[in-house]
Amino acid sequence: MSRPVPVLVLLLAACLVGCGQEERQRLTATLTSPTDVSLVWEAEPGAVGQVVEYANVPDGDYTVLEFVPPDRTSYEHPDLIPQTEFYYRVRSFHGPASATVDVTLPPGDEVPESDGHAWAEPVTGPSGASPVRSADAGLPDLSAEIKHANGILFTWTDRFEGEEGYLLEVRPSGAAHFSVAAQLDPDVRSFGLITLPTEKNATYRVRAYYYGAATNVAHQKTGDTA
Amino acid sequence: MSGMLRTLVGAVLAGGLLMAAPVAHAQVESGPWTSYSPTFTVQERGCGDVADLTFRLTCSTASGDQRAERRYATYTGGTRQFEGSFRITSLGGTRISLKQTFNDSTPGPYFMLAVERGGRLYAVHGGATVATGATVGATVRVNTVHAVGSQHRTYINGSLRHTYASPGGSFYDKFGAYRTNSGQGPATVVWSGIRFWRK
Repeated sequence: MSRPVPVLVLLLAACLVGCGQEERQRLTATLTSPTDVSLVWEAEPGAVGQVVEYANVPDGDYTVLEFVPPDRTSYEHPDLIPQTEFYYRVRSFHGPASATVDVTLPPGDEVPESDGHAWAEPVTGPSGASPVRSADAGLPDLSAEIKHANGILFTWTDRFEGEEGYLLEVRPSGAAHFSVAAQLDPDVRSFGLITLPTEKNATYRVRAYYYGAATNVAHQKTGDTA
Repeated sequence: MSGMLRTLVGAVLAGGLLMAAPVAHAQVESGPWTSYSPTFTVQERGCGDVADLTFRLTCSTASGDQRAERRYATYTGGTRQFEGSFRITSLGGTRISLKQTFNDSTPGPYFMLAVERGGRLYAVHGGATVATGATVGATVRVNTVHAVGSQHRTYINGSLRHTYASPGGSFYDKFGAYRTNSGQGPATVVWSGIRFWRK
C-alpha cells in the first residue's frame, strides 16, 4: 500500500524537471490571417541553432523552412496554401564548429566552361570515431582552396561519428551572423561551394551537427483566401 | 526517471499522432482530389543522366540541349496538382530548370522554375524571383495547382510564390535538371515524394 506514494513523488519530481523542459520548448502556431501562420516558441538554452520545419500531415516528411539563430523565438509563414493542414515543429541543433576561414575571391563572375566542377561534388569518407555528442569530440579542421572567381573547395577531417551531417556556414563581409550555405550528409569531408555575388569576401566555418530537443507539434488549418 | 517519463509521454503522443493520421499523403487546397499516377518517359540529352529520381548534368557546356528529366503524360482540362521535393546535392553551374509545366498546344514551356547559383529560385519567363533558400542540401517542397484555362499557382514550402494566368489546351509536367538558355551545368538534383492529384 505504501509503494504508490514514492512512485508518485518520483513522477512528480520528474515532471518538475522534464515537464519544465518541455514547457520551455512549447510551440504555438497562430493564424494571423486565413493564410498566414505565426509561430512562437521558447528557445532551448545551450543550442547552437534551431530548425523550423513544417509538414502537411503530422507524421509526414517535415521540410525545413529555415535554420535560425539560437536566440530566435518566432517565425512567420506567409501566403499559405488555403484549406490545408499545416503542422510545425522546431528542433534545436548542437555540434562542434571549426575555426573560421576568411576567403577573398578574385574579381569577376563567369564560371569557366572548361571547369567540369568535379571538385565540387561532396566527397564522403569513412566515418570518424569520436562521438559528436561527446564533450571532448574536438573541433573539425577546415581549409579553403579558391578554384575560380566563384568557387571554393572546402576540405576538413571527418573525425566524428553519430553526426546528422555537416553545415557549411557563411558570414559575408559586413554581416552580423552566420547562415547556412550548404547542408551536407554525414561523413562528408570535402565540398565545393559556388558562391553568391555578396560572398566575394566572406568568413566560413563547418559544423558537425546533431539534433537536440524538439518542440511539440503545433497545428493550424488555413482558411480561404480573401 | 525524467527520461522514462518523456519516453512515456512521447509514446502517448506518438500513438495519438498515428491515430490522427488517416492518410499517408496530403493533397493541398480544398478538394475533393483524386490521386493518380500518370505515366512518364525519361529524357536524357547531351550530358544529362537520369538514375531513378536523381538527375544529373555532368558537363559545364553552356550551349546545346543538356537535360535530365521525366516527362509526364499530357492532360487536358480540369485541375491538376503536382507535389514533389527536390534537393540539390551539387551545383557547379547556374540557371538550371527544375520543374516545368509545358504547354503542349502552343507548344512551349509555359511555366519553368529554375535555380541560380546560391539558391535563388526564379520563373524563367519573366525572371521573377520565386523564392530563395534552395541551397545545396536543402530539401524544398514544390506544389503546383493548375486549373487549365484559369490559373497556375506555385507553392514553395507551403507559401504561394507565383501565380500565372493559364490558357486552355493540353499540358504536361516535367521535372529534373535542364540547362536553360543562359545556364550551364553541372548539377545534381534529387527529387522525392512525387505525387499527382486531379479534380
